Amino acid sequence: MINFLTKIMPNVIDNWSGDNGILLGIWQTLYMTFWTTLIGGVLGLILGIALVVTDQHGILANRVVYNILDKIVNILRSIPFVILLAVAFPLTQILVGTTIGPKGALVPLILGTAPFYARQVQNTLVQVDSGVIESAEALGYNPWTIITSVYLREGLPDLIRTSVLTIISIIGLTAMAGAVGGGGLGYIAISKGYQRYQNDITLVCTLLILVLVFVIQALGDLWARKVDHR
Amino acid sequence: MAEPIIDLKNICVTFKEDQRDVHAVDHVDLQINRGDIYGVVGYSGAGKSTLIRVINLLQRPTNADAAVQVNGTDLLNLKASQLRDERRKIGMIFQHFNLMDALSIADNVDFALKKSNLSKADRKKRVAELLELVGLTDKANDFPSQLSGGQKQRVGIARAIANRPDILISDEATSALDPKTTVAILDLLADLNKKLGLTVVLITHEMDAVKRICNRVAVMEAGRLVETGDLLQIFSQPEAQLTKDFIDTTTHLESALAAVKQQPAIAHLKVGSVLVQLGYQGASTDQPLITELYRRFEVSANILYGNLEILQNTPVGNLLVVLSGTPKHTEQALVFMKEQRVSVKVLEKGTEEVAHD
Repeated sequence: MINFLTKIMPNVIDNWSGDNGILLGIWQTLYMTFWTTLIGGVLGLILGIALVVTDQHGILANRVVYNILDKIVNILRSIPFVILLAVAFPLTQILVGTTIGPKGALVPLILGTAPFYARQVQNTLVQVDSGVIESAEALGYNPWTIITSVYLREGLPDLIRTSVLTIISIIGLTAMAGAVGGGGLGYIAISKGYQRYQNDITLVCTLLILVLVFVIQALGDLWARKVDHR
Repeated sequence: MAEPIIDLKNICVTFKEDQRDVHAVDHVDLQINRGDIYGVVGYSGAGKSTLIRVINLLQRPTNADAAVQVNGTDLLNLKASQLRDERRKIGMIFQHFNLMDALSIADNVDFALKKSNLSKADRKKRVAELLELVGLTDKANDFPSQLSGGQKQRVGIARAIANRPDILISDEATSALDPKTTVAILDLLADLNKKLGLTVVLITHEMDAVKRICNRVAVMEAGRLVETGDLLQIFSQPEAQLTKDFIDTTTHLESALAAVKQQPAIAHLKVGSVLVQLGYQGASTDQPLITELYRRFEVSANILYGNLEILQNTPVGNLLVVLSGTPKHTEQALVFMKEQRVSVKVLEKGTEEVAHD
């Protein structure tokens, strides 16, 4: 078996484990994806909810707050990610103490993800029937309860779908962040596969990322379908 | 005089729309008594929805000198949390039901009990009780998407009365339903009014709905109440043209009149003949009036159109009649009828000479 594998993809086998090995790359990609999803997701969710409730038709309508948040999201969303990686360097150094490795990639990844996810959350939650929100207000619920029990509950199926979309885009970003020093499968594919003409490595890295994307997509679809009763 | 449970004074709601002020509600006073089923009728855009949203302050009046008293509490001067407590005493149902798609029927009703002090077991019991009250016990575990419009509205009602409110506001709650379901939902509201002493405020553009269950009515147009009063009084003596139009949507009297006037026999009424509209209610309908007219005055009555409504157990009738006799006798007949507490409105007096042959 190993012989066969060594024959069809020698470089992959050579670079499978150890320093800068593919195994480590998988781990680094998962690490960056996980923490970016978690931290960027929470920040994006908060920002998205804040945009919905402070909107002029929102339950806590506040033009000033809305405009500030809206501008922040727009500006961060306008910076191309590759440039954001560079721009965020000083901030990264302050926050995590290093600018290289998966840890160093986290700050720009989160900065790139949170506003993107915030918009997705906003677009999802504004579609929650305003009549249902009104009926919750008529039942005497405070904004917090309306957010947690109505917005997030009614918006859940679509929220899951947009979250899957966001996670997949995070995986894409980790590859890019990896290429400029973050590590992970993207780094390996570029530094070993592309630059050293070891095409089998590029191919395997691609396949591994595809598997990751498909698994996340499938789980997300399953969950969304389960909670969707429309 | 019953005690007013809702007392709105000098309510104005002005929206800004494209630099223009839109007066959705324009200096309205509204008193609703405990136990009333109060109907607010008007065409869409009249400001009804905006007005009733002032009752639980989902819509705040935009003028400073407005007063909103509900259940003896001045809602305008409450803190946000106190207002939320008061809102729980005012149930509300909606045209599009506004149920949560993500929750089962039982959970939708239970949603209203989130802030109640009931234990989990008591909440479950209360939900079961409410579902039974609206006749949906077997749908407890279904989801709203599996229910018909009428059933969804029943869930809406169960949710709205879960906290045992004193008031139920119905915002066009039957407008999205077919006529048969509409009647069933209206009867359920009337039933709750009777059983629970619930004061119901119903807004609608359907006079039929008002006629079926309301005891008091306000007619609304362009942000103002053009006429308010008892159902019987409004139906038998409408004053504003809009009120007449609305009543006609259920009695068809005005349209019948228009059709009747087209007839050649009416267009050329003979001297001594009059086209009258007779209105009567309650006891006066028991008398054999038409027979009396002929016996006493030899005036014959030709009934062209009639409408009889039973409003709050009182018959209210309207007839379009041509009375014919000698001019003198016809006059006497009209006087006689007025004495019998029949409202008489002369619509057309014959002017054409009777041909002598």
